Amino acid sequence: MTKDRRWTIFLTDIFTQYPDRRYIMFGGKGGLGKTTFSAATAYYLAKKGKRVLVFSVDPQASLTDIFERDIFGKGPTEIIPNLYAQEIDADQRVKEYQQEIRQKILDMYGLKKIPDEIESYITAAAAEPAMEESAIFDEVVDIVVKGGYDYYIYDLVPLGHALYYLSMASVYDAWIDKITHLREEMREYDKVVAIVKREKEVEEDRILNELLYIKDRINKSSSILTDKQKTAFFFVLTAEEMVIKDTLKAAGLFSKFDVPLSGYIINRVLPLELKDQNIPEYLKHRLTMQEHYLKVIDTTFGKQILASVPEMERDVTGLPMIEKMAKAMFGEIG
Amino acid sequence: MTKEKKKEEEQKEGFLRRFGKATRELLYGMAVHDTARFALKTRGSMEHLFILITMGDLLGVPILPPYYSLRILPYVVPQIATWKRRMLRERDLTDALA
Repeated sequence: MTKDRRWTIFLTDIFTQYPDRRYIMFGGKGGLGKTTFSAATAYYLAKKGKRVLVFSVDPQASLTDIFERDIFGKGPTEIIPNLYAQEIDADQRVKEYQQEIRQKILDMYGLKKIPDEIESYITAAAAEPAMEESAIFDEVVDIVVKGGYDYYIYDLVPLGHALYYLSMASVYDAWIDKITHLREEMREYDKVVAIVKREKEVEEDRILNELLYIKDRINKSSSILTDKQKTAFFFVLTAEEMVIKDTLKAAGLFSKFDVPLSGYIINRVLPLELKDQNIPEYLKHRLTMQEHYLKVIDTTFGKQILASVPEMERDVTGLPMIEKMAKAMFGEIG
Repeated sequence: MTKEKKKEEEQKEGFLRRFGKATRELLYGMAVHDTARFALKTRGSMEHLFILITMGDLLGVPILPPYYSLRILPYVVPQIATWKRRMLRERDLTDALA
């Protein structure tokens, strides 16, 4: 196994140095190893006796694939002692939620059936692409608030969506402030009007409370992503030009939203000793290319590089390969 | 964008801001000085504004995350039918005099 350059620190240091960082996230472009690292980190921590929950906030979750167990929509499932994995079934959650809303409307107005206009709104809202993600993030708040684990590892969606969510969180916050302010103003009007309908006041109070509840949920989910004390965010990249460029851009954006970046991990590094062996031109060329881009990464990110992880000889699926990956990232697991 | 265009944009923004402010002040003034009936009518418009903000996607303008705007839905159910009718109804001079 290659341990070249100065990135020989295993990630272990990060965990021993910062024991308060309990929310772990791996971000980066799709396909570069976020799920793999999430699983391997969870494995390592579980073996050290910590209670870990690794869960996917990606509607196209791949934890089922990597652990080779069907965990989709089944709540936290124990993989090995201390290691729990969860894939949130967003679809199911949205359906249940719709039913809750329908029932609430029937109860509130003593109706036998949902009016057509309302029903079409409920169906249309559920079809929106943002519905799945907002449902998942809401579930994440539940999971974290509930507690019960020493570590939470989020397998984040590829770059774009996470950023979208972060930026939206602050926009929604501002909007809800505006709306609640407007709502307060409307209550001012009530004081002007001689006829004050008592039921109306109570109803408006309820709406205001709902808005404040929503604001609280949105704040909780975005604070999970940005808490400097409790969050460790790792960026995964590979030694390729486009990846490096995109990672730079993303890093800039993430710092704008105050996401605490713990460092970068280079994945899929081809073993350098191959160069000295008798290999085809094609591979020689790839190795040279890699060397070049590793230098670029070193210049660009310098001390922020935490580790470089080798390309495995096969897909990382199943516990044996996950253990191998964990050893590559953290050293021998004592 | 070019200097002229930028200035145009700023002027438009300034105009919208002033228009909004003027409308607000007008509404406030009316509510304080006019009859209770008129105040109720004004409030009706504000209520609709609220709905517009929270349920903007009925008009194709999403504001809240869909998961949360659904939560508000039960509270605005009675207003949705009246709102749609009002928004789509043709307006004429008699509205101001009513």
